Order: sequence, then C-alpha cells, then structure tokens
Amino acid sequence: MKSYSGKILFVNLTTGEIKDELIPDYVYQNLLSGVGLGAYVLYNRVPAGADPLGPENILGFVSGLLTGTPSFVTGRWMVVCKSPLTGGWGDSNCGGTFSPAIKQCGYDGIFFSGISKKPVYLFVDNKGAELRPAAHIWGKDAIESEKILIAENTKKKKPAVAVIGTAAEKLSLISGICNDGGRIAARSGGGAVMGSKNLKAVVLAGTKVIGCEDPATMKEISKGFANTIRKVNIPKAVPGAALGLLGKIMGSMKKTAPMDGMLVALLMKRWGTVSNNTMGVTSGDSPLKNWKGSVKDYNYSYYKNFNADRFTRIETKKYHCYSCLIGCGGVVDIKNQSNGEFTHTHKPEYETALAFGGLVMNKDFDSVLYINEIMNRAGMDTISAGGTVAFAIECYEHGIITKEMTGGLELTWGNAPAIIALLKMMIAREGIGDLLADGTKVAVKKLGPESQQYAVHAGGQEPGMHDSRMDPFLAVHYSADPTPGRHTIGSGQYYDLLHLWEKVSWAPNPGFYSKADEFIPSEKLALKTVAISCYKELTDGVGGCLFAMVTGINHWKLFEWVNAATGWNKTPDELMEIGKNIQTLRQLFNIKQGVDPMSFKMSPRMAGEPPLQEGPNKGKTVPIEEMMRLHWKAYGWDEKTGAPTQECIENLRQKQLIVAEAV
Amino acid sequence: MSEKGVAHFDYSLCVACGICVQACPFGCLELTKTGIDVLRNAYPELQPDSACTGCGLCAKACPVDCIIIHP
Repeated sequence: MKSYSGKILFVNLTTGEIKDELIPDYVYQNLLSGVGLGAYVLYNRVPAGADPLGPENILGFVSGLLTGTPSFVTGRWMVVCKSPLTGGWGDSNCGGTFSPAIKQCGYDGIFFSGISKKPVYLFVDNKGAELRPAAHIWGKDAIESEKILIAENTKKKKPAVAVIGTAAEKLSLISGICNDGGRIAARSGGGAVMGSKNLKAVVLAGTKVIGCEDPATMKEISKGFANTIRKVNIPKAVPGAALGLLGKIMGSMKKTAPMDGMLVALLMKRWGTVSNNTMGVTSGDSPLKNWKGSVKDYNYSYYKNFNADRFTRIETKKYHCYSCLIGCGGVVDIKNQSNGEFTHTHKPEYETALAFGGLVMNKDFDSVLYINEIMNRAGMDTISAGGTVAFAIECYEHGIITKEMTGGLELTWGNAPAIIALLKMMIAREGIGDLLADGTKVAVKKLGPESQQYAVHAGGQEPGMHDSRMDPFLAVHYSADPTPGRHTIGSGQYYDLLHLWEKVSWAPNPGFYSKADEFIPSEKLALKTVAISCYKELTDGVGGCLFAMVTGINHWKLFEWVNAATGWNKTPDELMEIGKNIQTLRQLFNIKQGVDPMSFKMSPRMAGEPPLQEGPNKGKTVPIEEMMRLHWKAYGWDEKTGAPTQECIENLRQKQLIVAEAV
Repeated sequence: MSEKGVAHFDYSLCVACGICVQACPFGCLELTKTGIDVLRNAYPELQPDSACTGCGLCAKACPVDCIIIHP
C-alpha cells in the first residue's frame, strides 16, 4: 500500500457538483504529492488570464506524500491557487492537523473552482462530501468560527478545520487560511481566493487509515531521528540573552563552513523561532526600519525587549504541529497583555515578532503579543501586514500619508497603539486601512509613484524577515522563484545545513569559504540556489517542515522515507529531478498567466541599492539581475526571460505532466 | 474495557508528535499529559471517558513504537 490514495476531490462551487477524480500514478512518480500535485492540477486547468478572484481560479488544499506515515515532521498542508498578490503561482503551507485529515478522508487533495452564491463550508467524512450553509459563521473570526464548526461536527473524533477570518472575507490580498486555533497558511493571498469563492471553511472528519509500503523501514529511520532529537538540548543555564551575542559573532564572521543542522533543532526545541529575535538583529539577518535601518538604529534598548526568554516565560505549554517531534510552537498566556480580551495565543513566530518589532521600530513586547492574536483571528499575513505598516510609516514620515488620511493616527516609528489601530482598520477595510489592506504594491498604485521608493516587495509580495543583503541566496529566491518574496525557498544558510552534496552528485560542496564570495555571481553559486530550491519543492511535496528540512539530509531522511513509503527505489539524483519538475511547472504556470519573471525582481533596497551605511550589512550590494539569470540558466530555463525552454516543456510533456490543450 | 486492552504509553520513548492522536478513529487520545519534561511538552494520553477498543491503529501509526495495547 502506497502512501498516497491517487484520488482528489473536486468541488465546483458554482454548480455545487462534487466529484472524485483519479490521478495517474505517473503524476506522483514525477511530482510527488503536495505542491507538486497542486501544480499538476492548476497548470492544466486554470485558463490563461484567469481572474485570481474569479470563478476560473482553482483553490486547492493538498496533503503531503509522507503525511500520515510513520515519519516525522511531514504533516504540513498546502494551499495552491493563482495568487491575487503576484498574478502568478501561489502556494502557502501550514502545520496543524489539517494535512492528515485530508488523507483520512481518502484524498490527496481537495480542489475548488467556481463561486458559491452564498457562504458555504465543505464537510467531508468517510461517507462523502457535502456543501453546507455558512451564513452563521460568516463575519466571525477564524478561531471563533473553528470552535463553532468543531462543536457542530464532532461525533466521536474532533474534525480538522481550515477556515478564513474576516480579512479574507473582505478579500484582503494579504489574507491567509487558518487551522488549529489561528495557525495560518499566510502567504500568496490564498485567503482572498477562498473568500472570493464564498467558501468559509473546509471541515474534515474522515477516519480512514493512511498506509505506506514499508512501515518497518520507515519506523527504523524515524527512531534514528527521534534518538538524535531527544539528545540535543541547550542547558537551562544558557540564557536567551546569549543569542544576541551569538548573532554578533555570526554577523562579524568573514569566513564560514557548513555546520550540522541539529543546531537548528537545538534552538527550536528550547525557544522556537523567537530564538532569532535578537540573534537576527545583531547578525544582520533582520531587516530593520523598513529595510533602511540597522542595529545602530534598532539597538540594544529596543531588541532586548524581544529576548526569547520573555516568550518562554509566559509559555504554558509547547505546541507541536501534527507529526512533529521538535515542537517549536507554544501556547502563551496573554491575559495581561490584552487587558483580559484574550486568554492565550500561539507563541508569536520570529517573522511576526520582527515584522511588528524591528521592521517598524517598536519596542513594546506586549503589543506584539496582542497583534499576533488579532492577526491570527483575522487571518491576515503578519509578514505582509508588517511590511505594509512599515511602508505606511515611511510614507507618513515623508508626507505622502497625512494625519488627515489616517483619521488622526500619529503613524510614527514604534508608536504601538497607532500600529494596532491601523491594523484593525486594515482588517476591517476602514479609512486608510482599505488602501493598505492589499499590501504595498496595490497601495503604491493608490498613493502615487512618489511612494514607490518606500515599498519593499518582490512581485507584489512582501519579503520574509530575512535580509538578502546578508545572504544573497535569499535575494535570488526572493526574485527568481515562481513565488517571489518567500524566505522559505532557500538561503545560503539552509544550503550549508542540508549537506546535499553528500548524496546529490551535482550539488557543490561549499567547504570553508569566504562570505564575500556569495556576492559574486557564478555558475557554482547558481547550482547551489537551484539545488536548495529543488529540495524545498520535494519538502513541500512530502508535507515536510522547513525546520526539520534544515537539520540536514543525514538526520531528516526525506530520500529514504519517500522510497520506503512508496516502494520506489529512486536515487537522490532522481528525486532531485522531481524537485526540478515541480519548479518548472510552477514557473510555466506563471508564463501561461502572462507573468514576466524579471518583473518579480525585488525592490532595490533589498539588494542594497543604495547600500546601508551602518551595521553588519554596511556597504553590501547584491548583483541581483545577473544572479537571477544564472539561476534560471542552471535550471535549464532561458536565462534572459526566465521562461522554461522548449526542451524543458517537452520533457514535462513526455512525462504527461502537461496536457496538450493546457499550454 | 475491551478484551484486547487499551493503549498504554512508554513516555521514555514518546516524542509528543501527535500522530497517534490523529490516527485514533474514535477520538480517544488527546495531547494533555504535561509534567513529563522541563520543556512543557504535552504528551498523548487516553481521555478519561474514552471508548478505546484496543484496535491498535495508534500503535501501528506510532513512528517510535511507544504504544502497547494491553489490559
């Protein structure tokens, strides 16, 4: 029994038709499941020029090839769609319990086309699927709606629920889709697509058994990983304050070498992603003051407030996503921070803490906890929202946004009450909030070209909180990937931690190298950026988590697990080819939709144009265009246009991944 | 209690991944057991009013074989 069912559920929300469809085995053999399956369905079915918020767009929820098997950290679900934010391929992923629930209903993915006349939710269990009215939860936030749907639909076992909040109902292009009490697949604007379809939620109550070909081998691999993870612990005596110092050392290093990825697991187990709150600032990884500042501006008096220990001190328990043994998440008590409005929230991720900390020059710890909860409930992406607020503050600083326009808000750096008020206006689309609710690119169109210089994005998507002037690999992935602005696609640090070169014949071994070399475009560097992005697509194909991925291929054994789960006997090189297939299909989706890949080139500030005058990234400039071209060339795509060549297209056609009439 | 028994956990092996919780078709397990480690991880346990049939699906799903079905 393989780890995939070979079946998807397809729902036409316009007609109400619900049907099962069989997916041929060669699709899994060449694209895995997850994001690869999504790319197969969407590339072949979303017509060129489809309105992302119209009936022709398809929204898919896909599970991973390894989800539900006895493997670890392989339980992420992915949303796929044509992104209203970028106009091209959109995907986003999230932990929680929704991914195994898709497979327990007997499917590898659930897809929606059309638009429902009235708000509905989809209910699926072992007996079948049906659309049900959702008027009673329309207008409620994601957490409240999830509670209601669980109460209504629990028989023996609690169902898993993916749901949108009010931001997506109002079609905010920076809205996402939530599960498990506010964990969110935030990127690409998938929430707006769901909202446009009048689809409030998907409720899954199946209990079917998920199989795999060789459970004994899978468990053997898993036990090895578990034994290692159990042993890695940072002594309690080491304080969170040490992380700032560690960052300072890392930021000043001129040379580096690959390390063991278990270092990441150490930090994640103890603190979670907030371990980067201070380390990122001092090392130069964190973009500050809308990417124009440095640690000289956002100095110790600011960043000390976000010491990771402050978060763990109010953590009542750890939160593990389904199948995770690391447990980077947590539940934190925020009764005091919210004046009793909320009892608890998921521990804010680093991305959120920085987006509403350093990026907007805020030093108010309590405000970040409060913002985290209101954003989770509204279902709005904190990365894009933080980037948009930072943009708005700089526009205010330069008189492009006035006090009259903000309704009296003093939109200055670090003014936490004003930032909270502005976010509430964005969620509700009230006043200036309506202008900002779709991210910076749309806001520039409304505010005028003089605001362009303050908009930091790539192809319409605000970047993750990781500075491409510190790690030029990030610049390549922010700009040259089919989903621009995404820090999760690849970085130099990920590459070094992965140790791909130990199993993949063409992945270069970095050895001991100078960090300055990463700023010099070369074919070797391009091979690395291709390798990391191919491997990330495999990770998204199996439902894997980035933090497990970066422990490295000798710990989190994706290649071995895939073969044991499916009975295949593919070599690492052959599996990496699958990653390349997925990337090529995603890029072809963009070409089909009329996207010029070069138009995704990130904002000049992100490339150090002009260079920073202070801090760890002082004077650094990334020759981004040349790096993009070399990256595309190494993929076998046209280096000038970024479009996959005819040879690449023919390769996918021969594998029957492209249906003739879809091109 | 079923003749086969119910799920018992070896917490020295369990890693709190929750795979068993999801695998149980009857909703018998929840991640509610705390106090096992200093990191405040929440481990799975049979809920007091659960209807565990001893079917063993949780044990089969567990990647580290930390669940045993016995009376």
